[in-house]
Amino acid sequence: MQRVAKQLILLSSLSALIVACSEQAPPEPELSFEESLQQQLIQAQPGDVIEIPAGTHELTRGLSLTVDGITIRGEGMETSILSFANQAQGAEGLLVNADDFVIEDLAIEDTVGDALKINESNNVTIRNVRTEWTGGALTTNGAYGIYPVQSSNILIDGAVAIGASDAGIYVGQSTQIIVRNSRAEFNVAGIEIENSTFADVHDNIATNNTGGILVFDLPNLPVQGGRNTRVFNNQIVNNNTANFAPEGNIVGEVPAGSGLMVLANDSIEVFGNEFTDNNTAHVMIVSYYITERPFEDPNYDPFPETIYVHNNVFNAGGSTPDSEPLQALQAATGQDIPDIVWDGTMVPGKSAEDILCLSSNGDVSFVNLDAGNGFAAPSFDPSTHDCTLPSLSVISLSSNAD
Amino acid sequence: MKPSRLIVVGALLLTGLTACEQAPPIFHAAENPSRLSDWNLFELNATTLTPVEATMVFRPANQLFTDYAQKMRTLWIPDGLQATLVDGEIEYPVGTVVSKTFYYRSDAAGNLRKEPEAIDQSIELGSNKLMETRLLVRREAGWDAFPYVWNEEETEAFLRVAGTSQPVNLKSDTGNLDFVYFVPNENQCAGCHVTEHPDGDMHPLGAIATQLTASLDYPLSNDSTQIDEMIARGWLAESPNHSTPPSWRDESIALEDRALAYLDMNCGHCHNPEGAADTSNLILNGEHGQLVNMGLCKPPVAAGGGAGDMLYSIVPSQPEQSILLYRMQSDAPDEMMPELGRSLVHQEGINLVSQWIDQLAGSCD
Repeated sequence: MQRVAKQLILLSSLSALIVACSEQAPPEPELSFEESLQQQLIQAQPGDVIEIPAGTHELTRGLSLTVDGITIRGEGMETSILSFANQAQGAEGLLVNADDFVIEDLAIEDTVGDALKINESNNVTIRNVRTEWTGGALTTNGAYGIYPVQSSNILIDGAVAIGASDAGIYVGQSTQIIVRNSRAEFNVAGIEIENSTFADVHDNIATNNTGGILVFDLPNLPVQGGRNTRVFNNQIVNNNTANFAPEGNIVGEVPAGSGLMVLANDSIEVFGNEFTDNNTAHVMIVSYYITERPFEDPNYDPFPETIYVHNNVFNAGGSTPDSEPLQALQAATGQDIPDIVWDGTMVPGKSAEDILCLSSNGDVSFVNLDAGNGFAAPSFDPSTHDCTLPSLSVISLSSNAD
Repeated sequence: MKPSRLIVVGALLLTGLTACEQAPPIFHAAENPSRLSDWNLFELNATTLTPVEATMVFRPANQLFTDYAQKMRTLWIPDGLQATLVDGEIEYPVGTVVSKTFYYRSDAAGNLRKEPEAIDQSIELGSNKLMETRLLVRREAGWDAFPYVWNEEETEAFLRVAGTSQPVNLKSDTGNLDFVYFVPNENQCAGCHVTEHPDGDMHPLGAIATQLTASLDYPLSNDSTQIDEMIARGWLAESPNHSTPPSWRDESIALEDRALAYLDMNCGHCHNPEGAADTSNLILNGEHGQLVNMGLCKPPVAAGGGAGDMLYSIVPSQPEQSILLYRMQSDAPDEMMPELGRSLVHQEGINLVSQWIDQLAGSCD
């Protein structure tokens, strides 16, 4: 007791001395919601849970997190809303560069750029998170909704992504990925796996996008060689929204009405999906050359290979293609575009079976566009692809989050 | 009470006793005090904010644009300690404190004024408005950066690790500039001061060997460099012997040298071979190697809307077709460059880079 009293006396005489030169100590400032949230993100310690209370919280500046082992948790994606409608600074809503990160049960709305960008992080869980531009499908919307890049062990579960002018759920230059139980709607690309390896994309709904699900590999990026993605048990429905990507972006080349597009990726297994009313085509397997973009990259393989499409359900679709070669095809045949479209290009010496195997897809229709010869002689016989491939292995994440 | 705490309290008492005289700054080795005055970097009275004598007011040869704010920078190395030279760069000792105070000139009615850059040794409160003071502190584990924001009364600045924002109306003879002034948060400090992404360390950008090889008022004069003053203070044993970098303000030198000096200071902290912007392979710190990597006829990688529907970073003789200039001219958060540190466009910098591109020969066809 005596010690405590002594300390108090010391402290009080000390503060008397400190303020001796000024009249009185000015009061501490009060922090706004966004300032105190950003302060929590900066001062967080590994293991901390940062709670986002119910309500719509207006933010004017992008948030950022660089501390490992943090959970950001709201009370529900319709309840805890971070609204950036008045954002004046920052190219993202929330930028994360931290391992062992969990974000769940909240929404990020109307950011000027990307909504949730996660860069160079390992063990990332995004659960029951909604990213949305609430004004609908506008070119001025931010590019990406949920956007892990150059990251690993990523689980996206129960997410909702609406209105992105590039991709709603976009995983780029990453490895070990699960995207499941999510809904992507009114984006240019609903779900896109780009320049990535080892991904499971399953039990999602992709609807009202320009293209439902894209699996791309592009040249001239630090990470490429995209392969080993399974796309299964998804509902890919009515992806016919006119392309609203800004000029010059690769996704701007995707025709409205694309169900699933595989571009230059290898070892892709597509099964158990239901395709309905995608009015360009349900499945398109194409090389990078289809973009007609020049590239100089000796390490880049522009051709898709070892694509296995089996046990899917194909309903109506291909009725109004948004692509000149496919419109010409439709005019020539008087038929809807077939369910599965392959551009027909491959490295000389390969066989059709090296590129694409089709099995147990019911009464499926198919076309080889013969794009390498100026679409001169399209063929409709799927029997050259009547083969099977070994199933790809199930993705399991190191975090055990799945 | 433990002996160590007694010593701390004793030291604080001494500080308190001498606070009304010219005590040196106080280095806080671990904690960031909530009040700027706890660092004792300045003497503040009712009329003037003056750096204490132990500090050195400095100014880099080239300066980052920050919404036309005036800046007063101080450097302090604790008594008895000395910086060393490592590969020609200054390695500051633990305990070094660098400060940068941002402020605007104000008129009698209290309006903030857009004025040419001043080189002040102290700040008169009657004719200036204090915004913030940012600190860079060299601690055992490396540099830390954090901002203090001045209160309305200009009696204290408070630690704001999350930054803050404030609407500003800046008056000038040619019109008013309305904008939001942003104080960066700690993560944003690292956005510029960590030049090797993502695992590099924070370090100063202005108080470095090349930028200090210049007079305080360079390029008006260059008689005695700030390196010389550091040596005179005993803070450095020898000169790194750099040549003074070209100043973008120096109209007597080649346009290209001026433009590249400007791009280095304003862009090179991210656009360098190890920087956060290396994914774009647009290199603006002078280490570009091939001209294409300096932007000449270089297509964008992931600029999105920031490309402004244009094809190349720099098109010779066509500044209006050059993405680099487009992004300098933008004030949209998702398009503008630099991404941080400004809300306004820097017209003088735009004019300089535009003139430089305009006289470049060749074409991208």
